[in-house]
Amino acid sequence: MLKIHNVYKSFNNTKVQEKVLENINLEIETASVLGLAGPSGSGKSTLLRCIQKLENIDSGSIVCDGRVCFMFQDFQLFPHMTVEQNLTYAPSLKNKDKKEDYKEQAKSMLQTLGIESKANEYPRTLSGGEKQRVALARSLMISPDILLCDEPTSGLDIASSEDVVSLLKSVNKLGVTLIIASHDLDFLLKISDRIVLLKNGSIVMDIAPREHTDSLDKLKGYY
Amino acid sequence: MDDIFSNLLFIGSGILVTLKLLGGGILVGISLGGALSILRYSGICKPLINGLVSVIRGTPLILQVSLIYFSMPCVIGIKLDIISAGIIAFGLNSSAYVSEILRAGIESLPRGQFEAAKTLAIPNYFMWKDIILPQVIRNVFPAMVNEIVSLLKETAIISTIGGLDIMRASQMVAAQQYEYFMPLCIAGGYYYSLVLFIEYIGRKIEKLKIYA
Repeated sequence: MLKIHNVYKSFNNTKVQEKVLENINLEIETASVLGLAGPSGSGKSTLLRCIQKLENIDSGSIVCDGRVCFMFQDFQLFPHMTVEQNLTYAPSLKNKDKKEDYKEQAKSMLQTLGIESKANEYPRTLSGGEKQRVALARSLMISPDILLCDEPTSGLDIASSEDVVSLLKSVNKLGVTLIIASHDLDFLLKISDRIVLLKNGSIVMDIAPREHTDSLDKLKGYY
Repeated sequence: MDDIFSNLLFIGSGILVTLKLLGGGILVGISLGGALSILRYSGICKPLINGLVSVIRGTPLILQVSLIYFSMPCVIGIKLDIISAGIIAFGLNSSAYVSEILRAGIESLPRGQFEAAKTLAIPNYFMWKDIILPQVIRNVFPAMVNEIVSLLKETAIISTIGGLDIMRASQMVAAQQYEYFMPLCIAGGYYYSLVLFIEYIGRKIEKLKIYA
């Protein structure tokens, strides 16, 4: 369960204080999929960054049970490490005795994602879709309870986007709560149990698309 | 012919002192410079470090060497030998430049690399050791080789406080024989050979791609 209560966040630009999030209240059930929709600059990514504590909030509270992990829009794989090292480095630090187990886990995860042949390659040799999979695998290696995904389909072709949908669905089936920020409404409709629309830093709509099909036109109207 | 050979040998005997100063200077410069840049990036003692770097970069190296060698006995009561004073002075001076090189290298990395380490709950020490510094070192390696080359040439300043390095040895030969051209050319040849060697090693390491 993730509880966001009355969150306010602003950035101090040169002279003016720019409001980015205002009065954000959300309760997200465990193992659900929440889509954060909204145009560019609406505050989706900032909200994810606040949940991950990459940004400090000005007021309000964010309470979550369990481990949170963040999947960056530009992946942020470690370029000097091979794919396998990217996956095993963080978990091995916590438990050095299990290094071999983590290698096996990474191998089987890469196999599931269809990129087992890339285990010993460096990120710069991978395509966008492959990097996306590695980033997902790296996040899953630390067994997160909540996975935050920032624009997971940006820069991917249609086929790769479809793959991301099915991959994220299978991750969700493992009991991981997903919070996905995307400006791609069609993508969010395919995967989300609930969609929250942000505009100018505030929530303007909060719907369950499968239950409220009539609200979809209204949602699309905001774009 | 015998003269040239004996001059070559005598001036060449200064190489050991030059290399001691270079080695010590690199060791102090890189370790202190690395620590200063990490502390500065983390915001610890930032104004103090900025001030120190500014003063070191803003004063002549010959002044720093003289200050450490001649004034230390009066200030802290310790008389340093020439090599130790040289290593401290060259190391301190180099650390200011190394910290600036590393600062530029750290700042050129995407902020996301730090954030990715944070989201994966990688402790700070390991983040710097295994994630940030390997990438920074790879990016700044050519600039570091330049710094080592500069330091090698700057070690000639030790001759002003009596250190018997390549430069001082060539000056002694010149003073003895009233002939400056040949001894100084020999000293120049030694320095240039050492610089070529450092550049060669630098290129070899770059080609190894040990940092991927």
